[in-house]
Formats: sequence, C-alpha cells, structure tokens
Amino acid sequence: MQKTESPEESRRKLDKIVSDLTRSILLKDELTRFWFFILIMFAGVGLWGWILQIKNGLGVTGMGDYISWGLYIANFVFFVAISLVGLLISSVLQLLKISWAKPVSRAAEQIAIAAVALAGIIIVMDMGRPDRLLNIFLHGRYASPIVWDLTVVSTYLAISLLLFYIPLIPDLALLHERMGPELPTWKRKLYKVLALGWKGNDLQFKTVYHALRVLMILIIPVGLSIHTVTSWLFAATLRPGWDSTIFGPYFVVGAFVAGTGALIILMYVYRLRYGLKEYYTDMHFDRMGKLLVLVCLVYLYFNINEFFVPVYKMKLAEGVHLKTLFSGGYAFMFWFAQIVGLVLPILLIQLKFFRRPLPLSLISVVILLSAWFKRYLIVIPTMEHPFLPVQNVPESFHHYKPTSTEMLIMLFSFFAALLIISILAKLFPVITIWEVAEEQGIDKEYLTEKSNTQ
Amino acid sequence: MNRLKNIIGTAVLMMLALPVLGQDWIVPDEQAALANPSEYTLDNVKLGKAIYTKNCKSCHGDPGKNNPLALVPVPVDMASEKMQTNSEGSLFYKITNGKGVMPPFESSISENDRWLLVSFIQNYSPGREQVLLDLPPIKAKLLASVNEAQGLVDIMAEYEDANEVYVPLLNAPVIISSKKAFGNLKIGETVTNDQGRAIYTIPENTMGDEHGYLSVVVSLSEEYEAAEVILDKALVGTAKEVPELIRKGVLWSTNNNVSLWVLISYILSTGGAWMVIIYVIVQIVKIKKYSRSS
Repeated sequence: MQKTESPEESRRKLDKIVSDLTRSILLKDELTRFWFFILIMFAGVGLWGWILQIKNGLGVTGMGDYISWGLYIANFVFFVAISLVGLLISSVLQLLKISWAKPVSRAAEQIAIAAVALAGIIIVMDMGRPDRLLNIFLHGRYASPIVWDLTVVSTYLAISLLLFYIPLIPDLALLHERMGPELPTWKRKLYKVLALGWKGNDLQFKTVYHALRVLMILIIPVGLSIHTVTSWLFAATLRPGWDSTIFGPYFVVGAFVAGTGALIILMYVYRLRYGLKEYYTDMHFDRMGKLLVLVCLVYLYFNINEFFVPVYKMKLAEGVHLKTLFSGGYAFMFWFAQIVGLVLPILLIQLKFFRRPLPLSLISVVILLSAWFKRYLIVIPTMEHPFLPVQNVPESFHHYKPTSTEMLIMLFSFFAALLIISILAKLFPVITIWEVAEEQGIDKEYLTEKSNTQ
Repeated sequence: MNRLKNIIGTAVLMMLALPVLGQDWIVPDEQAALANPSEYTLDNVKLGKAIYTKNCKSCHGDPGKNNPLALVPVPVDMASEKMQTNSEGSLFYKITNGKGVMPPFESSISENDRWLLVSFIQNYSPGREQVLLDLPPIKAKLLASVNEAQGLVDIMAEYEDANEVYVPLLNAPVIISSKKAFGNLKIGETVTNDQGRAIYTIPENTMGDEHGYLSVVVSLSEEYEAAEVILDKALVGTAKEVPELIRKGVLWSTNNNVSLWVLISYILSTGGAWMVIIYVIVQIVKIKKYSRSS
C-alpha cells in the first residue's frame, strides 16, 4: 500500500479512479444498445422455446424413457461449475490476503450470481410441471439429493448476492454523492436506498469488514457443498461412469477450471470495453494464468484418477461406457476436452507469452468450451448405458440427440446469464472503487466528499 | 409479401408431409416373397391371437375396431386394407425389424411365434376364410368363494342361453389372478365341469402381502361378458417379507423413513448456513444504524 501525502494529490487520484470505474455505468453508445438488444432478443427467442415446451410437454425434447437427463442437466452442471469462481476468487484468495485478487473479485461475484441463478432456472426448465416447484419445498424428502441441491443452490445464491452487495455499500454512497445529472434520477435514488445512509465512519467500515469476513468463511463450505451435492446427484447412483467416490472433489476442481476461464474472458472484455488497463493490468492476467495452470493441473490429476482406475479394471458395464468415450461416438468430444481443453492449456500457459491478456483469453474460451463438453460427457453417455440393456424399443430411444427446443432453451440460459452480468455492470462499478482507493493509499475521509471537479 | 407467404406456406406443408413420406416401408423382395411355414388353421390363429394380445394390441388395438394408440404415425389396424395388402413375407419382415416407433421383435418373439402372428393377421384377410370369428361376447355370471383353510377357490359359472335364461356354463376356461397395484397378475387357469362348477387350488408358493393376504380375482375369458369376482383379503398366500423402508407401500420412501443421520446433517448444515446469513443481514442493519453515529 502506498502512502499519498497531500490532500490535493489524493483528491486528484480519487477523481481519476471514479471516472475510470464509472465508465461501465455511464457508457451510452450504440454498441451498448446493440449489445442489450442482442441479449434480450436471443434470450426472448430462447424463452419462446420454453413456452413451446410448457405447452406441449417434455415430449418436445430429445429425452425419453432411458435418457431422461439431457442438455438441461449438462447445462445445469456447467453453470453451477462456473459459479464456483466466486468462492475461489472472492473468498479463498481474499482470505489468503492475495492483494491482486481484490479488483477481480466483483467480476467473479457477477459471474457467480448470474451462473447460480441460471442453474436454478434451468432445473425448473427441466421440469415437466414447473408449476409444482413449490412442492419440493412443501413435500420434499430430506433423503433426496434433489432437495439438497435446491437448498445449496438457493443458499449459495443468497451468499453470493450478499458478497456482491456488502463491498458495494461504500461505493454506492460515493456514487450518490459524486454523480450528477449524468445519471438518471432512478439510478441515483437506487444508490441512495442501497447505500443505507453510509457515512463512512469507523464503526461502519468495521462492520463491513466483519460481515465480509464472516461471508468469506461461510461461502467456503457452502460453495464446496453446492458442487459436491451436484456431483452426488450422479455419484449417489450405481451407474457406470457415475459410481465414483472422487466425484465431489473432481467436480469442484473442474468448476475452478471453468470458472477461472470464464473470469479471464470477462476481465478481458471489461478491460477492453471500459478502458481498465490500469486496473486489470498485464500482471493480473499473468497471475490469473498461473492460477489457471494450478487448477488445471489439479484437475488433470483428478481426471487421470477418474479414468485410470476403471480403465484398469474394465468392469462389464463400465467397460462399455468407457469404450464409447475413448473410441466410440463421444471420442472426439472426450479427447478434445482432455487434450485441447486441459493438457494443451497447461503446457501453453506456462509460457509467459500465453499469459498475456489476449492469448490467455483465447485459451480461456477453448477451456470454457471444453468444460461444457465435459459436462455433456458426464451426463449423457452414462444415461445411454444402463445396466439392463435397452431393448425392444424404437431406435430413437437408444441415443440422445437434443432437439431444437432444447437448443432454444439452452440459448436462453446463456444469453440470460450474459444479460444478468451486463445489467450488473451497467448498474454498479465492475471494480470496487473504495478498495482501489485504499490500495493506492487514499485516505477514507476523501471517499465521502463531494467531487471538487464538478 | 405474398410471395414470401407462399414460400413459407409451401415449406410448412412440406414439413407436415414429411412424416407421411417417411411411411414408405420398403421390404426387400426376397423377404417379401417368403411364405408362412405355419399352417392357416384355427389353432394357429388362436395361438397368434394370444401373442398379438400380449405384444401388439396395446398399440394396434383390436382388429377391425380402429382403436389404436394415438401415436405418430398411427399404428395400422390389422383388418385394414393397408395392412392386408402386405404379403406374408412382408408382415414377417416388418414384425421382425420394426421401423421408427414400431419396435423390432426379432429378439423378443421367436421366429415361429412371429409366423403365428402372421397367421392371425391373415384371419382378417379378405382373400381368406375367417377361421376365428369375433362373435359378440355372451352374457355370463360368476360366483366364487374362497376356502382359506384348504387354499381353494370354489367357482360357479352361468351364461344366458338363447331363451335369455341363465344356465350353468360348462367346460369354460376360468382365469384366477391376484389383484396388484397396476393390474391383475395371473395365477392360473381352470375349466368348469359338467355342472358349471370349478375348484381351483391356489399354489402354495403364491405370494401375498406381508401377512399372506391376497386379493383373488376370478374372471372368464374374453368370449364372455361377465363381471369379475374379487375375493378381497383372502388368507391363501405366503407372507412376503417387506423391508422396513417400503412397508408403507409407497413407491419412494417418505420423510417418516428418512435416516436420522441424513436428517440431522441436513438440518444442521442448512440451519447453520442460514443462521450465519441472518447474522450477516443483521450486520447490514447495523451499518444503517451506525450512519446516525458520528
């Protein structure tokens, strides 16, 4: 932490930080409008798919008697995975006092909120009778992994929202004080209400630090359980490919890989779009790249474990399942996910060049894509290989192929997630202003001042 | 604009026509030329009917009654012209291989039985004499009682003769089944004697509920229209061991059966997490309160 001497210097610095970090809120160009138009349009088209499904029933999907989990569940696991980045960046790294992770943590929380909210929505979309959702709470059985899953998803969402909101409070007061007519009145009013009359006194800061610390500790067990319980939906069965004792940690580490990838992409977009080169510096990408290699290596270790042991034994049903993954119909997806999505990034990101913002972001896109493949491979091939052979049913029951309705609903989930992130970025600064100011040695007393340049 | 409409309209029509186009079911010539090795006799048609009732009727319905299951494409009626234009070999080929929604029966119905099915379908061929006639069912009555001590079911059957008088039904098959959650499970069959009476001994190993109770259902074959007799809670079966978890007879175990350790872990962890969340919300309230202090 640097020390800044003169009040003028402090005020000047703070003005610059505020003007940089409020760019996401103030930008009102064609591109912003176009982006929101695209998001809303595609999310709307996707939603229309859901309306079709509600009208005609789940028969419009490619799911059937044998393969009853398809694209939706794969997507659900993918989104839960992505959301874990909130736990990793804004809790684990903060508790370890890793200071470069601070400016990144709000973006991580944005991803966490959007992803976990969509995970919950996708589950509802997979229901034949979504109107009966409440029954899970009213008549749910405590022995059912589905009930646990719903519980952890909603708990994690609550914690993520709080973890997003609490560090925002001082910023909201600051924005309310400093921003003039360039903001619409409703936004200023919103800031005023949400700022809870923040005065920036020691008691308030102490409470914020305390609440944040409590949340950061709480989110670790809850975050770990959200993805462990998701893995139990599979691992609590006896089916080949799912009957595994390491599924919990295997999912959690895979989630860190996918989430870190998603965060790097988002950081790159923010840096480019809102001119945040001084906040998301090359150093940040370098560190994120190193973090990505670390989680990828752990994930590789789990992958080797997860496949080497059953491949060595080749139990009857397990063998059939593994053969389709290794050399059957899923071979391309499988080897893409393992080699292009895991081994190659580990090798490449170790070179300094690939830890630069653009190459790292491109690698992250590939990692994210193969993370999605991986979720698809976890859900569907196992469903196609039940212990009792599928027989005397129409050919179409043997394999799963997503229908256009499922694609539409998937489209919705992706665009809705992006929409949530975009709205959060449009409403609130993408980097915590007061934490950056604190980092640059600006005294807290200047935060609550009205701007002297306006 | 009109042109666009036309294009869209044509496209929609073509899409609607696709399933119809898909119905062309081509059978290789050498398969279509195969002849039915089983003789076209009443016995074979009857055997074929039994196989049909078990494997085909649920979708194709009763021959000539046009009551198939509402599937796409609609399962074809056995007595329809469309069905009957098929050669013996074609019918056999289609039953064997299936197509689309029609499943293949190659592995579940033996070759001999598939040919018997062909014989049954031929019973409705316009070019052949119908050997198995679908007569309207005869009105009949059933009386039955159970002798728990000896494990016997005593049956009396009568039918309405030409003069609309009920007389004993002789030499008619009687079906004994056990009433289960999703229908009747056949236990055995007997035949009425020359006084219209039959006595059926329930096999010793017949499984009842956990106390050995069984709901015995007595019915006549399809040719007769008679209300079945249900002998509720007859103590004629062997007691079934019911595991504790499913004793209540529900499909999935309920919350009453949840293991204590699962319940405790769930409540403790969920409760714990939400207590902390509430604590943090209290902190937020405090932040608001502190804004009044200097």
